[in-house]
Amino acid sequence: MKRIFKKKEMGLVILALLLMTVITSVNGSFLSPMNIINILKGNVILAIVSVGMMVVMITGGIDVSVAGIIAATTLVIGNFMVSVTGNPILAYILGIMTGTVLGLLNGLLVAFIQIPPIVATLGTYSVMSGMMLYLTKGAYINNIPQEFIDFGKTTFLNILPDGDGGVIGLPIQLAFLALTIVITWYIMKYTRTGRGIFAIGGNTISAQRIGYNVNRILVFVYGYMGFICGLAAVTHVSIMRQVDPNAFNGYEMKVIAAVILGGVNVMGGEGSILGTLLGVLLFAVINNGLTLMQVSTYWQKIILGAIMVFSICFVVIQKRRASKKHAKVDIA
Amino acid sequence: MKKHAKEWTLFGVLIVVIIVLSLLPPYKFMTATNIKAMVFQLPEFGLFTLAMMVVILTGGINLSVVTTGTVGGIVSATVLSSMYENGADVTVSIITAILILLAVSVLCGILNGYVVSYIGAAAMMATLGTSTLYEGVGLLISKGNSVSGLPKEFFWFGNGTVLGIPVPMIIFVVMAVVTYLLLERTAWGHSIYMVGSNQKASEFSGINVRKVTMWVYIYSAFLGGIAMIIMMSRYNSARVDYGSSYLMQTVAASVLGGAAITGGYGKVGGVITAVAILQCLSSGLNIFGLETSLSRVITGALLIGVLLINFLTTRYGKPGMSFKTKALESRK
Amino acid sequence: MRRLLGVVLVLAMCFALVLTGCAQTKPENTPAADASASESVQPSEAATESAAATESTGSESFTIAVVPKLVGITYFEAARAGVEQAGKDLGVNAVFTGPSEADAAEQVQMIQDLISQGVNAIAVSANDAASLTPVLTQAHDAGILVMDWDSPAERSVVDLSIKEIDYKTYAESTWDELVKAMGTDEGDYAILTSTLTAESCNEWIKFGLDYAKEKYPKLNLVTDPVTTNENVQEAYTKTLDLITTYPKLKGIIGFSSPAPIGAGQAVSEQSKQDTISVVGSALPNDAKTYVHEGAIDAVLLWEPAKLGYLTVYLADYMLKGNEVKDGDMEVPNVGTISISGKEVIMGPPTVFTKDNIDNFDF
Repeated sequence: MKRIFKKKEMGLVILALLLMTVITSVNGSFLSPMNIINILKGNVILAIVSVGMMVVMITGGIDVSVAGIIAATTLVIGNFMVSVTGNPILAYILGIMTGTVLGLLNGLLVAFIQIPPIVATLGTYSVMSGMMLYLTKGAYINNIPQEFIDFGKTTFLNILPDGDGGVIGLPIQLAFLALTIVITWYIMKYTRTGRGIFAIGGNTISAQRIGYNVNRILVFVYGYMGFICGLAAVTHVSIMRQVDPNAFNGYEMKVIAAVILGGVNVMGGEGSILGTLLGVLLFAVINNGLTLMQVSTYWQKIILGAIMVFSICFVVIQKRRASKKHAKVDIA
Repeated sequence: MKKHAKEWTLFGVLIVVIIVLSLLPPYKFMTATNIKAMVFQLPEFGLFTLAMMVVILTGGINLSVVTTGTVGGIVSATVLSSMYENGADVTVSIITAILILLAVSVLCGILNGYVVSYIGAAAMMATLGTSTLYEGVGLLISKGNSVSGLPKEFFWFGNGTVLGIPVPMIIFVVMAVVTYLLLERTAWGHSIYMVGSNQKASEFSGINVRKVTMWVYIYSAFLGGIAMIIMMSRYNSARVDYGSSYLMQTVAASVLGGAAITGGYGKVGGVITAVAILQCLSSGLNIFGLETSLSRVITGALLIGVLLINFLTTRYGKPGMSFKTKALESRK
Repeated sequence: MRRLLGVVLVLAMCFALVLTGCAQTKPENTPAADASASESVQPSEAATESAAATESTGSESFTIAVVPKLVGITYFEAARAGVEQAGKDLGVNAVFTGPSEADAAEQVQMIQDLISQGVNAIAVSANDAASLTPVLTQAHDAGILVMDWDSPAERSVVDLSIKEIDYKTYAESTWDELVKAMGTDEGDYAILTSTLTAESCNEWIKFGLDYAKEKYPKLNLVTDPVTTNENVQEAYTKTLDLITTYPKLKGIIGFSSPAPIGAGQAVSEQSKQDTISVVGSALPNDAKTYVHEGAIDAVLLWEPAKLGYLTVYLADYMLKGNEVKDGDMEVPNVGTISISGKEVIMGPPTVFTKDNIDNFDF
């Protein structure tokens, strides 16, 4: 039991619980099933993308082009669905392929041309978003086939009361989040690639000397990020029932903020899915909760920023205290 | 020559870019009007880039470089406009406003420095959090509005000329020289490079890493504040979102200018050349009448292209090294 | 080597500085006559001079630059169509270019580059009026005709201000439609707006609130206008938040074209079409599905394409040396517009509802 408390994520859990208590005491509807479903639905995309971003950041890199990859994918599948078919399976396949290809491009630049990830992905983002703006001129794609719309509205576990006497269930999009979590967890924990990812994050040269094929792993990582972005994109369209090329402007900052809140070490080598999800939860709770408490919009950013700084400091100090207890042999 | 291959390549690129842009219709790139416009526009971006660069030299990144400026600007503009309204002496109010701006920015820098060097949080995380915080403060004070009502005399900083030379450019050149001297000619400057190269080794060499890093963040915020003075004057108001599009561009410009993202290397000259390239591109493409969206594509492609060239020249420019060792070398 | 590079760079910068120092930009000019209530508008003499000069060389046509708040949203892209059409019809070089986000600073820089480009006229839809004053003054001094459209800049720096509708009428019609849709003049409502510095939205809100105080005193505005920054996504999330925070919410007014769409999405998702009425300024094409569904009850707008067309038309008109006089004026492809001093008003708004929205395609 004590071990659970020592875990780094505990700090986040405590913080989240604290916040939720405060919010609920001010506005009881925070914990209503309706609101919880809203929060989940509103942040499921963020959660999916954050898991992918976590993998990238564990290698010590970063991907600021996620907004571009997601937007580009939504465009591709949007056009596809309008002209061909609204079959969700096909849409997902196409979306995932598009995302992965774009992600692999990032991977090639980072691994083989050795452009620093932040710059490489910035470059690709500029190119992607510029091309998209040029091709679409911001026009929405509105006539998504009914088949896909119905798919997006499916729910499972329809047992929760919704306050009006009926029942609502968990939106299907959560199933995709669960899928993402399972796949990522499996890769990170049980495959050599996964361990290579951690190794690269710890020390790239050592990883190479041990024998990991660094280039291949990096390409995989960014390709995987693209895969996840593609998945997220199709899921997003299933929620919004419309494609808006501008929907994801500035999204990468939100993702990075959530992942950082979740305790991923930006230097690489550390990170957990649980932490990332808690980070997303924290982020979502803060945003939604502040509005429910009728906190003026002007205060919301300050509070968000303050919580971020505070939680970062908290996590770091906690880590330092924990590591002081270890004997250290320092070669660094 | 080989030692500064990067910087010479960059300079070459600048020349090529200028020539190409001059040859584009309507042939107005090399006109006095345009050069004047560019010389007025460049300084604010240049100052922000320098602010970012010094932090990158320590191996970190300062995502709050723009917001430290804007929050200072909003406070300062509020004070200035109310002083001006109440009939205070113009010169006195302007001087007070400038001092307040710089003071607020420096304060932000101190907070940044404290969280990064004394608490030990990773720079990206810390500055993302503080950036949100500063943005929130600015939002609260300005209520999302722009703060205007500045006296006409204040125009001078951003729009005036001295002996035909635009004031902002003078400010920029002065600060660039100061930065150069600080980095190359002072012990502090040398320490910065050493900390960026290898923090642990620097610590063991007796460098007070914490103090050095703290001052870097303070200086960075100071430069951001000066950039804001120019912006406030040029745009006749202060607003939370001024300069927000600069943030990622400053990272791109720093890396383009030869700074290593992991720290330890970077030249003021290179960075200034990169800033000039980006500025010429932006103005030149606008004059040419290229769609905004395509300009983004070209800027992104150019960024990747230059880094590609850098990679190829450094990789294949070192005779007598085996491929693998070279790969490891350049991976550092 | 390092020294050499440094020296070369410094020399290059000095060269640039000297060039700017020698910049002989401005032709002699007299600022545009300040329009008092009933004076006709004279294009600045310099504009006519430079325009006349171009005409006398006979080879070039005018270049008229129309700058929206941002590009890439349907409203302004519809305006672009009108601008380009006018360019073709009138034989002028009509340029439509704007920042990629509703960023006041980016807009200033683009206008500066347009000045360098040497255009004859600049018409801007301002993100932030105050920030444009210095650069528009510069444009004026360079002999360029300065106008604003869609969202006004500061009165003293423009030669002509084109408004799509009379702000007071528009605001009042919007509030009337809201009450009609709500079915009652009592209840909670909220307002979505663009950015806090968007003049047009601010004016509508001001007129609307004043009107509501008199005519619909039992309407209760639950919170300050909520910003959506010309972003559908933001409108969507903020509406969801509003619905949760104020469960008795009966109406939403959305100003700036993306806002009602986002609100409609939220209302539709929460299945509150019957309890919440959404009214606002959006394009019929964007709003169609939601209007038919009942998520959006009414949309009031003018035709952005016509506005774009009118802007180019009037710019060309003034560049040719004509005076814009008070009173009504017929403009081909646009209709009858009314002019008063520096202000031009295009016409009354159209209300789009379930019944007529399919007749329009923009």
